[in-house]
Amino acid sequence: MSHGNNTRIGRRSFLAYAGAATATASVAGCLGEGEDDPGATDDGTDDTGNGTDTGDDDSSIWISQTQDPTTLDPHDHRETTTDNVLLQAYELHLARDPDGEITDGLATDWEILDDDRHQLTIREDVQFHNGEELVPGDSAFSINRVVNPDEGNLESPQADQLAGVTGAEVDDDEHAIIVHSDGANPTAFANLASYCPVVQESWVMDRDADEVGQEINGTGPYQLEEFVTDEYTRFTSFPDYWQGEAEIEELTIDAAPESSTRINSLQAGEVDISTAVPPDDAPSIDGDDDLYIGEAPSTRILMLPMRYDVEPFDSQEFRQAMNYAIDFDAIIENVLNNFGDATAQPTLEGYFGHNPDLDPYPYDPERAEELVDESGHAGVEIELHVPAGRYLQSDEIAQSCVGYIDDLDNVSCEIEMRDFGELAGTLLDGDIETTPPFFLIGWGNTTFDAQQNLFPWFTEDTSQYTFIDDDLQDLIYAAATEVDEDEREQLLMDACELAHELAVFVFLNREYLIYGLNERVEWEPRQDEYALAYEMSLR
Amino acid sequence: MSQYHFLLRRGLQGLFVIWGVVTLVFLLRYMTPGSPVDFVAPLDASPELREQVAANLGLDQPIYVQYFEYLFGLAQGDMGYSYLRSQPASSIIFARLPATIELAIVATIVAMIFSIPLGVISATRRHEPADYAATGFSLVGISTPNFWLGIMLILIVSVGLGILPTSRRPIGFLPAMELLIFQLETQGIREWVVHIILPAITLGTYFTAMIVRLTRSGMLDELGKSYVQATRAKGLPETLVRYKHVLRNTMIPIITVLGLQLGSLIGGAVITEFVFNWPGLGTLIINAINVRDWPIIQGALIVIGIGFVVINIAVDALYTYLNPKVSYE
Repeated sequence: MSHGNNTRIGRRSFLAYAGAATATASVAGCLGEGEDDPGATDDGTDDTGNGTDTGDDDSSIWISQTQDPTTLDPHDHRETTTDNVLLQAYELHLARDPDGEITDGLATDWEILDDDRHQLTIREDVQFHNGEELVPGDSAFSINRVVNPDEGNLESPQADQLAGVTGAEVDDDEHAIIVHSDGANPTAFANLASYCPVVQESWVMDRDADEVGQEINGTGPYQLEEFVTDEYTRFTSFPDYWQGEAEIEELTIDAAPESSTRINSLQAGEVDISTAVPPDDAPSIDGDDDLYIGEAPSTRILMLPMRYDVEPFDSQEFRQAMNYAIDFDAIIENVLNNFGDATAQPTLEGYFGHNPDLDPYPYDPERAEELVDESGHAGVEIELHVPAGRYLQSDEIAQSCVGYIDDLDNVSCEIEMRDFGELAGTLLDGDIETTPPFFLIGWGNTTFDAQQNLFPWFTEDTSQYTFIDDDLQDLIYAAATEVDEDEREQLLMDACELAHELAVFVFLNREYLIYGLNERVEWEPRQDEYALAYEMSLR
Repeated sequence: MSQYHFLLRRGLQGLFVIWGVVTLVFLLRYMTPGSPVDFVAPLDASPELREQVAANLGLDQPIYVQYFEYLFGLAQGDMGYSYLRSQPASSIIFARLPATIELAIVATIVAMIFSIPLGVISATRRHEPADYAATGFSLVGISTPNFWLGIMLILIVSVGLGILPTSRRPIGFLPAMELLIFQLETQGIREWVVHIILPAITLGTYFTAMIVRLTRSGMLDELGKSYVQATRAKGLPETLVRYKHVLRNTMIPIITVLGLQLGSLIGGAVITEFVFNWPGLGTLIINAINVRDWPIIQGALIVIGIGFVVINIAVDALYTYLNPKVSYE
């Protein structure tokens, strides 16, 4: 081996240095810490702007959620976690109170003009974060950008969230917009209270897609201070917010997919709010003097759909038996730590169209066995397909359900864990033959309208239906085109009652949102999974 | 064969390996269950929306077309586009790379600081309590799962004692050094140090235990050789014998393992990063797998694969340089 010149380090020298370095390291390793003792972390943020101890800063809070935002473009995603960040800064035409009731937002008034036209009066004297005023054209542009792939430099994945809406235009006579629909659209306002944040047309059109995905210019209470992809999003309060400046001056949101990481950060005082606390961890947080648990029923329902076209699930008696077989109160108590409500119908309490007269099927294994005998399927072996780890404690819930069903003398039941993507693919391919006969799924619906729980599962117009009954389908179709609210509500309630009687699902639970909070933060969690800092205060 | 021919041959072999990695990683996409569309599009998405998503992801093309497009793209530095994040995959991956490299290097340094002294003590005090302590530590270190150790360290050191932060990386090493050099601001580097200690210990523990064993056995092997007897016979002090001669020769295989292990640490930091919410390639890969963000998964795996190949070649070159007894054949 030739050494080109003597400026290069020699082999012997290299090994000598390596040995010396090792000896030095040995000594260093035996000594204590230097004068810059990195023991406790510093308080609050610092000149680097990156401190993580929030506890001593009275005007800021830190929220740790499960996922980082994938983009800052409010029309280019479908994740609740992204919305949770963006809705601190962007606003909707219509808002919802914490109970889900529609209230005014950027629109002060809303009315149906006729079957396919809805009018929204746009609030005046509202400023975007760049100082410019909101005009009706921005509202119309926002809707068009979502529903029209040729508008706003974006093919929005949210188009179907405004189902039936074909576009919007400025109403020249008033400070308003007209929203056009393809026929009667009774859920238009409910959808606009859940989807389609308002952006400024000129601001969007002056930027390319990457810039819109990395910056924010909304009308909301918080303006973007700093966004580090996959690390954190930092906001400061917007002084000219139309409802008045937020009490909390600085907001940081980051993400830790691992629940123990979020909870440890909360217990160490590094974050103020941790989302998605597993029920098992709630007692340890509640037992901490500096922390407390906040909870709210969510907009997600868990269920076990059964295909109406295959044995044994084509039998109403058998489907009812599956509901009687499961002691769901025990599951809620032992698996969910009481963070859950048993359900009796495909939609949730508080939703438009929910039927308050229905009670969950009681636990009655004897009745279940009788019904199985009546169905003619005694001795049958069935399999429950479960998307692994997809929902809150869903694997444990599924295992419990399978255990109860398998305990029946005349039914054997096993569990089949599936990858969510694979299972979802079989549901959405438009071919019911590929759908498992019996599976677990969660269904979120932030429109607070039963239509979105019924239509996808029980009408042949969708790719994922699992159950068709002519009477049930007629009720759902009638509700979909009925613009009289009372009539429509009755139709939806009747549909829920029939779905309960037909036992279209094994009805499981409503998921709960569980938050770990630092005592310094006062906040009542919302049902729609948004932790809006504007609604929080500091003790 | 000269050193240059040897390196050229290893380089060509490395290219072939990288092509194999790229091909394998590309095919992984078709061997795993579930379509990326099902993760990008919501459950209630219309068929039209699903078709649009599939087209955006390039899934409407035949597999060979997708493969060659991907290869040509890679050759130009294009790893594809993450539609879930609305950004080029390469920019996301390379933004995460420094965090993983920092963690791997610091874990290696931590391992070196502790392992070699322990190994030396263990070898020179054979069958004494210090030896039993060192070998006991190495046994525990090799047997302890990363994720468990990380969680325990967080619970004890961070939550229990409040000494160090639980997670995150508020600032990178280079920005921290910039602050230190150009603004004489120490806060950044202090933040970086306190946040990296626990992840580095967690990641480096297995490695530390392994090097303790390697150092111990290497030292024992060298101590039994005749040249050691000769140096002692010449009247050299025992310290010089051990550290100038014996440890220096023991370092040859250790340095080789160090290099190879650095590659393993870059690839193996996944669990540690996840536990400590460390924003490196590991957490990126896990999150990408969860949502089937294939451009990110493929790109990150390829970067790790290339890292392995390059480090292997570098170690081969270094090893032959350090140990002339090794031939190029």
